[in-house]
Amino acid sequence: MDIVYQVVALLLYTPLIFVAMAGVGWGILGGALPGISPSIAMALLLPLTYGMDPGLAIVLLASTYVGAEYGGSIPAILINTPGTNAAAATVLDGYEMQKQGRGGEALGISLYSGVLGGLFGLTMLILLTKQLSEVALAFTPMAYFSLGVLGLSVIVSLSGESLLKGFAAALLGLMVATVGSDPISGVSRFTYDQPELLDGIAPILVMVGLFAVSELLRQASVPVWDKPMGEGARLKLPDGPMRRRLIKPQLLGSVIGTVEGVMPGAGGTIASFMSYNEARRWSKNKDEFGKGSPEGVAAPETANNTVAATALVPVLSFGIPGSNSAAILLGGLLVHGLLPGPRLFEENSGIVIGLYTGLFVATLSLLALGMLILPVCLWLVKRPKAYLMAFIYVLVFSGIYSIDQSLFDLGLVLGAGIVGFFMRLAGFPFLPAVLGVVLGYLVESNFRRSLVLSGGDHTIFLEDPISLGLLIVAGIFIIGSLSARMWAGWRSLRGGSASGSV
Amino acid sequence: MARDLYCPIGLLAVAAGYYHAASGIGRSALADEIGATGLPMAYALALASIGLLMALQAILRRILGCAQAEPRIELSELIFMLHRAGGVLGIGISYLLIVTTVGYVIALIMVLAAMLVYLGERPSVRVALVSIGGACFFWVLFERFLGISMPELWGL
Repeated sequence: MDIVYQVVALLLYTPLIFVAMAGVGWGILGGALPGISPSIAMALLLPLTYGMDPGLAIVLLASTYVGAEYGGSIPAILINTPGTNAAAATVLDGYEMQKQGRGGEALGISLYSGVLGGLFGLTMLILLTKQLSEVALAFTPMAYFSLGVLGLSVIVSLSGESLLKGFAAALLGLMVATVGSDPISGVSRFTYDQPELLDGIAPILVMVGLFAVSELLRQASVPVWDKPMGEGARLKLPDGPMRRRLIKPQLLGSVIGTVEGVMPGAGGTIASFMSYNEARRWSKNKDEFGKGSPEGVAAPETANNTVAATALVPVLSFGIPGSNSAAILLGGLLVHGLLPGPRLFEENSGIVIGLYTGLFVATLSLLALGMLILPVCLWLVKRPKAYLMAFIYVLVFSGIYSIDQSLFDLGLVLGAGIVGFFMRLAGFPFLPAVLGVVLGYLVESNFRRSLVLSGGDHTIFLEDPISLGLLIVAGIFIIGSLSARMWAGWRSLRGGSASGSV
Repeated sequence: MARDLYCPIGLLAVAAGYYHAASGIGRSALADEIGATGLPMAYALALASIGLLMALQAILRRILGCAQAEPRIELSELIFMLHRAGGVLGIGISYLLIVTTVGYVIALIMVLAAMLVYLGERPSVRVALVSIGGACFFWVLFERFLGISMPELWGL
């Protein structure tokens, strides 16, 4: 009963509400600007928190994280540029909807799904922290490798018309992921004496180049300059029938997001791609995916925002940061003398309850602030195309430079843009390449660590029960997707011959 | 030569170049059984295999007389696209070359104005004002609001 009083008192505590809303607003801005990742948005705030009350400081950082994870979907939908890695899967159908003049609907679905995902993740965080933390601890390098394989298995269904081109794109992504220091021996690979390459190529550089810059290069040859993009688009939250249609992808996103979120290092990217894949698999409207499906926006957005909450499980339970953002939140806890672990829940239960309450307020604030901010964003993308393209270009320059203050990174983005332009011309899909870049390091480092542990025995991946389970699921995904493709091909052939005979 | 044969040739060239670069990676006493070159070489071989399969697919299509599934781009259209894209890319490269000299704000003004004119706007006071206003907006957002240190005039 004490806890209920405490929560009610916190819900009426003005500074907490203000801090949560400010964090979400700042986070949305950070997430929406390509290059200003959730971690950078949080890091910029960290010095401000030193003099704050510890509880409020943690709420501010966590709310920023929640806002930034959501904010990444705004440019993904409106300008084909994912603001965060996890928003890459939203591009596929979100931008298609925008091109069809349904950007307002896509933003409404992403906001609604994001809020639901955030609330679901928060519920899981509150109710199942202990149980979920055990899952996190059970993960070995073998399991992480298999998790990466499971993430890569999505490539089969993201490959579009040509499976071979999908695989080729994924391999190109995996190749990019090998740039930098070798994960085991530390030897430099493909760095050509450039210190900027020692840490590898950040996935955000590849994504912004592939999606945004290549789109600008392509649009430059479309000779309709004065026509605004996405006419008639207004923010539209899902109505009753649409909400019912979105239940299944949102459920899938919530469950996948919960499981992925607790695994340090897995992050929202795998969750959002897998949710997209599963939403398509179980949808009655499979053919709409990739062409502007509302379910294709709802599933990754729900997963992404669920992960934002459940990713706090390993941080709070063990002090294991699974991502840069989680590391900054951990830093915030440590700065205020709060040691994560079971004792945090016993000795500083007030802080933990304050964090949960703050996250609840932050998630609801997403809805309120989204309703305020999104119409402005929609207005901005309805400007004449020449203006829109020019501003997107300088936004890319500014956002990418702000990551590391590196012009070299900007050069990489332009290079990725050229590659993306030719990939577009040749009909290669981008998403397998993005998955390859994001998961390449996870797969390689854990594959090799596992083999070091086993002395080169490959059966170790089948001996670890979690690894075995994940590999079986990956196998089922691959076989299921391949069968679906073959079935669709056979049906179209049959349809073709039938129509030909008429 | 058609696009269905360009793609496999491009993939084979990338695979060969990457394999060559991978074979030049240094050895380490700390290396494991697979080593720093193991997976890169495997990726290169896999990409080369895909390139060969695509080439085979294209040749079979021609022999069997199947139509190419993807829309064909005419050469004149391709040259026009490359020309337009090259202009946008040139503006981007120019930004990289001048930003450390003229500073962030002036470089942005130049990029905005150049893009607007390149994309069909007539040089006008409006274009100038939008470019200056836009550059100032980005400077306030990134330099002042987010506290990110952007290149200053003459590298100061």
